[in-house]
Amino acid sequence: MIISIELFGQLSPQSPRRQTLELASPARVQEAVGLLGLNPDEIGLITINGVQSEMQDSLPPDCRLCFFPYVTGG
Amino acid sequence: MKLLRVDMNQLQAHWEPVPATYERLGGRALIAKILLEEVPPACDALGPHNKLIFAPGLLGGVNVTTAGRLSAGGKSPLTRGVKEANAGGTAGDALGKLDIKAVVVEGQASSDNWHILHILGDSVELVPTGDVRGLGTYATSDRLQERFGTGSTVISIGQAGECCMGGAGICVTGEGGQRSNYAARGGLGAVMGSKGLKAVVIDKPVGRTATLADADLLRTAARTFAQKLINDPKLGTKGSQHLYGTASIVAAVNEMGSFPTRNFSDGNFEGMEKLRGEYLREVTLARGGEMGTRCMPGCVIACRNVYVDESKKPIVGTLQYETIALLGSNLGLDSLDEIALLNRMCNDFGLDTIETGAALGVAIEAGLAKFGDYESIRSMLAQVGEGTVLGRLIGNGAVATGRVLGIRRVPAAVGQGMPGYDPRSLKGNGVTYATSPQGADHTAGNAFGARKEVNPLGVQGQKELSLKLQIIGAMLDSTGLCLFARPPIIADPQLMVDMVNGRYGWGWTVEDYNRFNRNVLRNELEFNRRAGLTAADYRIPEFMCEEPLPPHNATFDVPDSDLDTVFETL
Repeated sequence: MIISIELFGQLSPQSPRRQTLELASPARVQEAVGLLGLNPDEIGLITINGVQSEMQDSLPPDCRLCFFPYVTGG
Repeated sequence: MKLLRVDMNQLQAHWEPVPATYERLGGRALIAKILLEEVPPACDALGPHNKLIFAPGLLGGVNVTTAGRLSAGGKSPLTRGVKEANAGGTAGDALGKLDIKAVVVEGQASSDNWHILHILGDSVELVPTGDVRGLGTYATSDRLQERFGTGSTVISIGQAGECCMGGAGICVTGEGGQRSNYAARGGLGAVMGSKGLKAVVIDKPVGRTATLADADLLRTAARTFAQKLINDPKLGTKGSQHLYGTASIVAAVNEMGSFPTRNFSDGNFEGMEKLRGEYLREVTLARGGEMGTRCMPGCVIACRNVYVDESKKPIVGTLQYETIALLGSNLGLDSLDEIALLNRMCNDFGLDTIETGAALGVAIEAGLAKFGDYESIRSMLAQVGEGTVLGRLIGNGAVATGRVLGIRRVPAAVGQGMPGYDPRSLKGNGVTYATSPQGADHTAGNAFGARKEVNPLGVQGQKELSLKLQIIGAMLDSTGLCLFARPPIIADPQLMVDMVNGRYGWGWTVEDYNRFNRNVLRNELEFNRRAGLTAADYRIPEFMCEEPLPPHNATFDVPDSDLDTVFETL
């Protein structure tokens, strides 16, 4: 399956900001993290199709997967 | 420590010892207690019986990083209940160094008799306003610093406050000519205007230091606290907050479908790309502006910026997330330059950008301008400074604007405009907006980022999360800490206890401190109860409970029974 990726903040210099990724189905977020070469300790927020998600969550086909650094609201 | 009473009826001010019941309180906690003890809860918020209180937090003036915020408070003309709003700048630090527990402004000057309160160390004077009457806060701050010294702190209101508009905030100057730190929310600028008080000027407290009960204990804990902030991945020098400012969350809030768009009709904004923190940083630095500046002496987070135009001329310092959301996406604007210009106008008139952005969104929905049309929006906002009928309407906030223009979709709770998180897709914030004694105020308990605890789109666990966050918020606002400084204290409350004990020698335990924090909310809720607020006031507007918000098509469906029982375990 092919998913679209977007990286934000300090994560974007680590890999192209917007890209697509081909993964064998089924796949989890953590597999995408590995393929992208991201440091999991630097990921503060993950969304799948706009819904907050975790490393262990499954990726639906054709989803949009976003990674954010640690952020805080105020 | 001492307390300064200012009688605007008699135009007199005097010092008095701090009453025992106020001794162990500061900032928001002290404001809640003074309101409960001294202010008739049902009084007119803009009348002589309300009081305007300025109070540093418990740790103000003792060089604890991020702890120099100034709390302003009184009965709010918007919520009809208790209100505390706090600002950076140098006022909290200066009052703390002068050992001033609070400044309590009482009564009301006779019509058109405006004064400035001047605090000169241990003496004080009320002087006629002179040539700053009717001026915006930039010119007021400039002229008063020329008159009283460039190192002095100026706390002032603009035209909105002078006209007692409910959207008026209170402006505080900072280090090095810095302008526009705002105690923005709840209409406290209108309360200040109702007293006939244009400004408070505090001379720089040269050579003054607060007395410490145990300097070693305080300094050791303060150093640890600062280091933990520096090491925090969100807050340190490599953290999002420092690099991109509060705008660092624009993309995340938008992605989660909670970014207020065109009067809270969508949670995604198509123009977000040009509003996000990364773009703000890129533009600011390319033009010669500044990122990572601080709003308080010694702050290690430094999340402010100086946003400049293409000729490097500063427009505002600082352009913040809430302003970008309410004056930007909420009005359909995707230009940081335009948002910054509106921000500057609000700062100058002395307006809360959240309340004003919400009011403008409602006015646009009524057909008075067009979403995305900067000129028509700017023209409406300009009328606040001109004092026209429409300007006074906008300046009085979202609820007044909706009522007069016949608009039902008013994003407000407990009379106050909503901040930059739509509560339908961030329901924890919805619970806070609805139930906080402070009204719709994200600083009272912001659930954004609490992802590992509660699903923002779900109902389960929201009331417990909101209560926990509201208790933390009460703690921060009472100690003078910036709300971004919460992680080390949440992880290790003993750190805060040590700092308070080092300052005062009270021998507090963590249990004492937890009780203190909860009592802030208890006092506030009691004041609001006596003021006549009922369960029916503590609600999210009906349209948000019925109208699905794209992209998740979420409604605010936390049941009333949950809202009514948030504080049952307080």
